[in-house]
Amino acid sequence: MILRSVFMLLAIAFYASAQHTSNWAVLVSTSRFWFNYRHLANVLSLYRTVKRLGIPDSQIILMLPDDMACNPRNAFPGTVYNNADRALDLYGDNIEVDYRGYEVTVENFIRLMTDRVGEDMPRSKRLLTDDRSNILVYMTGHGGNEFLKFQDAEEISAFDLADAFAEMWEKKRYHELLFMIDTCQANTMYSKFYSPNIIATGSSEIDQSSYSHHADNDVGVAVIDRYTYYNLDFLETQVREPSSKKTIGDLFDSYDESKIHSHPGVRYDLFPGGEQPGRDRLVMDFFGNVQNVELESSQTWNETAWKEDLEQLGRMINAARKRHNDTSTFEDVVGTKGQVVKSAMLKREGAAKVADKNSLSNQAVGVAALLGCVGIWIIASWFEAGK
Amino acid sequence: MHFSLLLNSALILFSRLASASTSSYKEQLLLRPLPQNALLASFNFKSNSSSTSFEQQNFRYFPRSLGQILQHAHTKELHLRFSLGRWDAESWGARPWDGAREGGTGVELWAWVESENDEEANARWLTLTNALSGLFCASLNFIDATKTIRPVMTFEPEGIHPKGAMDKLQLLHGTLPHEVVCTENLTPFLKLLPCKGKAGISSLLDGHKLFDAAWQTMAIDIRPVCAADGECTLEIEHTVDMVLDIARSKRPRDNPIPRPLPIEQMECDTSKSYHGDDTCFPLHKSSEPAWSVSEVFGHPLKGSCTLSDTETTTESICVNVPSDRTIDVKGAFNISQSSHNNDNLRCFTLPTDGSDFDLSFPEQTLQAPTTLQKPNLYAARSITGYGQERGGIQAVVSNPSPTSAVSIVYLESLPWYMKPYLHTLRAVISPTNANNGHQNKSKSRSTEDNLNPVKETYYRPALDRHRGTHLELRLEIPASSTLILTYDFEKAVLRYTEYPPDANRGFDVAPAVIRLLSSRETEGGAPGMYLRTTSLLLPLPTPDFSMPYNVIILTSTVMALGM
Repeated sequence: MILRSVFMLLAIAFYASAQHTSNWAVLVSTSRFWFNYRHLANVLSLYRTVKRLGIPDSQIILMLPDDMACNPRNAFPGTVYNNADRALDLYGDNIEVDYRGYEVTVENFIRLMTDRVGEDMPRSKRLLTDDRSNILVYMTGHGGNEFLKFQDAEEISAFDLADAFAEMWEKKRYHELLFMIDTCQANTMYSKFYSPNIIATGSSEIDQSSYSHHADNDVGVAVIDRYTYYNLDFLETQVREPSSKKTIGDLFDSYDESKIHSHPGVRYDLFPGGEQPGRDRLVMDFFGNVQNVELESSQTWNETAWKEDLEQLGRMINAARKRHNDTSTFEDVVGTKGQVVKSAMLKREGAAKVADKNSLSNQAVGVAALLGCVGIWIIASWFEAGK
Repeated sequence: MHFSLLLNSALILFSRLASASTSSYKEQLLLRPLPQNALLASFNFKSNSSSTSFEQQNFRYFPRSLGQILQHAHTKELHLRFSLGRWDAESWGARPWDGAREGGTGVELWAWVESENDEEANARWLTLTNALSGLFCASLNFIDATKTIRPVMTFEPEGIHPKGAMDKLQLLHGTLPHEVVCTENLTPFLKLLPCKGKAGISSLLDGHKLFDAAWQTMAIDIRPVCAADGECTLEIEHTVDMVLDIARSKRPRDNPIPRPLPIEQMECDTSKSYHGDDTCFPLHKSSEPAWSVSEVFGHPLKGSCTLSDTETTTESICVNVPSDRTIDVKGAFNISQSSHNNDNLRCFTLPTDGSDFDLSFPEQTLQAPTTLQKPNLYAARSITGYGQERGGIQAVVSNPSPTSAVSIVYLESLPWYMKPYLHTLRAVISPTNANNGHQNKSKSRSTEDNLNPVKETYYRPALDRHRGTHLELRLEIPASSTLILTYDFEKAVLRYTEYPPDANRGFDVAPAVIRLLSSRETEGGAPGMYLRTTSLLLPLPTPDFSMPYNVIILTSTVMALGM
């Protein structure tokens, strides 16, 4: 009986280890300015899709570099549309943008992915994933061979992106990752990836442009890109409810090069087992949300384990510091002693009162100084004349 | 005549009464048609909790997310503003709430933070701005040391703090004039309300209308009110004010672009000589336009918020129109008229069964047009000068009152790359050009005691890349006079990496805050009278960012040719 339950536990543990327990989405548009409306519409379309399929706002990191909905040029205030029929308002009534405007930078993006953020960073702006999280990373903007422009001012290279993902893997920040990118020469952006468990797809090959799908004459600019349009088309018509069994392979097979006007690429080689297991992953594994709970037995986990880990980490840091001849110890760095140094109330910083320039005392000082100078001059000339 | 002033004071008085109970919630909407087919909608939501339940994290109406941020950042009083547009004082008269519930264009935040010293205050301020940036989806984390000042005279705590607590509180103030305000800021704002925008007057708040307004401001004010025996309550007030264009708001959502009417449907002025079958001069209408709440806001009101106190508040929607204006009411209601010693205020109680409620106003010609309260002060500010190196600021503040002088505080928080020369500061008083008998008299008086209108100056110069300029002046403006304040500044040259992606647009300079010091002694807790100028766009010397690339390309070409 006991043996059986142990086997069952083991089976559950094995089953759970092959699964993910949370889903996250990082949706990034990298283009500023009104004529790049379609890039924001792309990313907002994906935002609506993953929200529709169950990923909550707290697990979506949305980066919008410019304000399209409340832009003075927008004839439809408070709305962003991705189709000229204007059936769906992407901005809606309930939207949470995590990074916006000047905050959308390469540095902030890499800090977000690798979680190298300041201590004051609010939770809503952090990617709080672990080794059981599936992440969808979607990027769109203007790019070229192995780079993607951010706000027309800086670039992220394919190498930066590959290193960021590698660091994420080392820090156990993802279980499986689906990378999608819609930009010119998009397939070059994932060519440098080298960390495992990534499926990558892009809109166009090297030396190929990605094109917009159509324009809305009342909005005045193109409203969506072709690759994103046909991805959405699949997601909206084929993946209608969270129980959908459509696979990633079905999604990639739906790409029609004659419609997209470029050659979308797929990269499976980083995925364990190669193409077939990658193709068999469900669309819902990345675009939907699961809430699997992983139970850990009390034998493998005890209350003191984390303290021992922390002590060991402290010893390692102290050893490293000794090597660098640093005298401060781990205790000082972590600050476990909880000392609060109370300094005496100093003079508060702030604006100082500007004294009245015409005050009599000021004038008196000036006159006295002047008279003093004259006096010295008279005495000096008297001495000189005396010689 | 002064009914709007009465109304404001009535609302404030009302809120004071409501705040007497320990935990309560109250909401009120005021609609006031303004000239030129504009409509002022002023939403106010008030709730409070006792400070003991707040400290025990026992939140009822007070939003938990905000409460925890306040506790974490040791913030005792907080004021946050999201604003867009400009209040047109010439057409619309005095500001709602005397300007105390509005902010400068973009985002403005000021708070009293408890701290032992300056470093601790700065650290807690940083924590506060970062936490609020996550909560309100705004780049409030950009309020760093260069955008933070410590005003001396402009702001006073609205709350009544416990005795002795003020010594440890520091006032910090930051603005982001460039920040856009959009639906993602309204979403968290609504989530902080007890009824979450699902019922009650907050169900009218819709981003599509709010961000189409000619002027809008969203405010959050949190203040403690302590009795003499040490019993404190924490009050939170959400305010949304907006001025909608009635004709614009009535356009359908899917087709908002105005298109000309067919000529048969147009009302033409037939007295024009060129009037004909194909020409038309639109007839000027003197009648009040027809509108309804559901047309202007896009949908009817969805019942009342049942969480609001039924004892203290029965009327949650009030309309400020002349008494002969017809109002058609749809839905269950109780009308109460002239309940606030005011003939022009009609208030309604919302249905409690959750059914829709709507008010509609037919097109009507009124006997007496609506009179507006005149503002106490007009202010405008602009950049003068030319060139990439220097410039000047000119602020024009005029006192329209024919009888009384006013005392104001003028606060400027300038970015570090705009360096003012304080010695060029000039304040000149000139009588307002008005063709009345007082002119000569006031002129002779102003020349007679031609004193410097600057009574007090607080100044903190900028440090490059570390802090901005803080300039605060107390000024005296005589009756029916205009004050012209000018100073020169120098523009800094930024480093290559310091330019934002849209550097050629210019750099936003925060609005000046003007506080009207009232002659009577204000007791603690009364919000003052404020006025803000518009923000300015400062063009800085901006390089051609493709130039290094061009130089490299050209040099390479020349070298290639040489080889």
